[in-house]
Amino acid sequence: MKKIIFYFILTSLVFGETKKWDAHSAYLLPQKRWEMGLFQPFRYGYSESIEYSVHPLWFFVMPNFSLKISQSDFAGFTSASQYKMVYPTPFLNMIAKKGIPGIIAPEFQMPPMLGLSASWLMSKNMAGVNLTLNGGLDLGFAFGDLDTRSTIDIPLVYHRLGVYYNKWGIHTGLDVQKNLTQKFTAVFDLDLIFLPMTGLAEVQIDPDASKLMGEYSLEHKLLLIWNKSENFRVLTGYKFVMGEYPYGSDMRLLPYIPMVETWVPIIELQWARQKR
Amino acid sequence: MKKFLSILGVLLILGCEPFVTEFEDLSDAVMYDANNQSTATYDSSNVKVVTWNIRFGIARFPFFGDSCGDVVILDDATIEENMAAIADYLNVMDADIVLLQEVDVSSKRTGYMDQVQYLLDHTNLNYGCYAPMWKADYIASDGIGRIDAGNAILSKYKLTDAERIQLRLRTDQDELTQYFYLRRNIVKAKIPALAQEAQDFYAVDIHATAFATDDTKQQHINKYVEVLGDIDANGDIFITGGDLNSVPPGSVTDFCLSDMCSDESFHTDADSGPHKEGSYFDNFVGEPDILVPLYDVYNSAIDTASYNLPEHFTHAPSTGMIDDTTATMYDRKLDYLFTNGTWDSGSGSTHQGTWELSDHLPVSSVLNLGGE
Repeated sequence: MKKIIFYFILTSLVFGETKKWDAHSAYLLPQKRWEMGLFQPFRYGYSESIEYSVHPLWFFVMPNFSLKISQSDFAGFTSASQYKMVYPTPFLNMIAKKGIPGIIAPEFQMPPMLGLSASWLMSKNMAGVNLTLNGGLDLGFAFGDLDTRSTIDIPLVYHRLGVYYNKWGIHTGLDVQKNLTQKFTAVFDLDLIFLPMTGLAEVQIDPDASKLMGEYSLEHKLLLIWNKSENFRVLTGYKFVMGEYPYGSDMRLLPYIPMVETWVPIIELQWARQKR
Repeated sequence: MKKFLSILGVLLILGCEPFVTEFEDLSDAVMYDANNQSTATYDSSNVKVVTWNIRFGIARFPFFGDSCGDVVILDDATIEENMAAIADYLNVMDADIVLLQEVDVSSKRTGYMDQVQYLLDHTNLNYGCYAPMWKADYIASDGIGRIDAGNAILSKYKLTDAERIQLRLRTDQDELTQYFYLRRNIVKAKIPALAQEAQDFYAVDIHATAFATDDTKQQHINKYVEVLGDIDANGDIFITGGDLNSVPPGSVTDFCLSDMCSDESFHTDADSGPHKEGSYFDNFVGEPDILVPLYDVYNSAIDTASYNLPEHFTHAPSTGMIDDTTATMYDRKLDYLFTNGTWDSGSGSTHQGTWELSDHLPVSSVLNLGGE
């Protein structure tokens, strides 16, 4: 198995294009550069063809790891593949509890679960606009009894964890980035997460075609970025999520503060350094 | 730019629904129709009325909130089974009007079943109105998750002018708890088919506070008396009822020890406190007689001579199940029916045979609209 993985990585190694501050594109980080944000993972340019990332704060309760590997250009697009692995069980068991924050009912013990995800990313600069297309497959493995009542039915979370209940899912998306001035950049992104045939078992009882089709989540983000320097930037904007949940369709503009009942803009700070 | 701002405006409106729904003092109830309506028409005979706290169809499930239990989410098949049993019993009773409390319409804990629609579709009742008491996108405590639960009126005859009347919130909670907590209400609807010449006919359903230790219960009953008084003063007819979470005058008022869970302790202080929330009915001056104004003015389905008799107890707490030989299955009356009209003599009944379907038992009676 080790040999296969090693061979696969070796054959896919292509020195790709590198770019700073572009986590969602097919461009890799320059070698030895790291970037991280309040809400973004720590990313590191391991070489000209490999970049890895982890969510450092989450890592201890939800071990995770992601690898981006540059690939040969495809149809004029800079291309890369991305592989992600996450083990959410410790965190989910922490929030399956009585009282606050009992996100999952205490009667459910979450089994060991492993999430694997593979994506293909293609980026191109077209008339001053950086365009990235991505798509891929998500697999969720549960090594034990995973009760379907333990889902967390809220935007952003339900569909990401849904892959463990549905065993698989697909995702696709589009990112558009344009420099407005030397210091300001605008980012528009649209992502679709789809859990096919989520209601297959139910359809035998209730022949509702929409359940057979599956559940989707459409996420859109618009950000304005102030690039203070190569090593620091501030992002602001909004995220809009709409999708199909066990209780029906729903949409929400994020971030949303419950007690004040209002939307507030995203404020994200990001830092970077180049290792010598 | 204009287009972008318009889109952003739409997103702001559609995507900013309140996380927890709060209510005006007066708002519209949510209206329902059965998918297959029976052709019930009022034929000038009597009207059978039922009140029932159905405990959101979880029957005797050891729910964490009210029964010394520690579980929260029941499986879909069992909920469907329980709801089918409730629907069957409503059909057996053949009620014209049903006042329900603790009905879920879109809650994680009951598989998001719309129980109002389910009961309309599985009984001979045709119309419904619903007023949420607890509605939130997510309750991040004990895995409750999304919740939409409340009171409902179901009827064979069309309901109109349905209103949700907000009851005062508890004042013995901190702001955060209160934000995520229940917002109890009265739901009131007109039933034109039962109007008697110039007199309109109203159904009024209430679920008063259970666990408040301040004077919230008094405020709830006061508001209830005010709503009924307004209908009565207008010369109209009402039937009303619900789970008043209050015992009748002259009843035992302290159930702390019989309701006590194995890990709890009460009556340890010199003043015989502390008391268990929801099990003690003498929290403030006058609480034991809180229902006197209703009994004084209106006709009760279960008359004053009988309301403290065991055969009319309507509450069956979980602790009644610990030891069948020593514990009482039902030990207090919390559920009531009243009218400013006239009940058929002797028609008031407490259906204790439904003990396994909820922790409350239905009460029914027949209204004699002719007053004979």
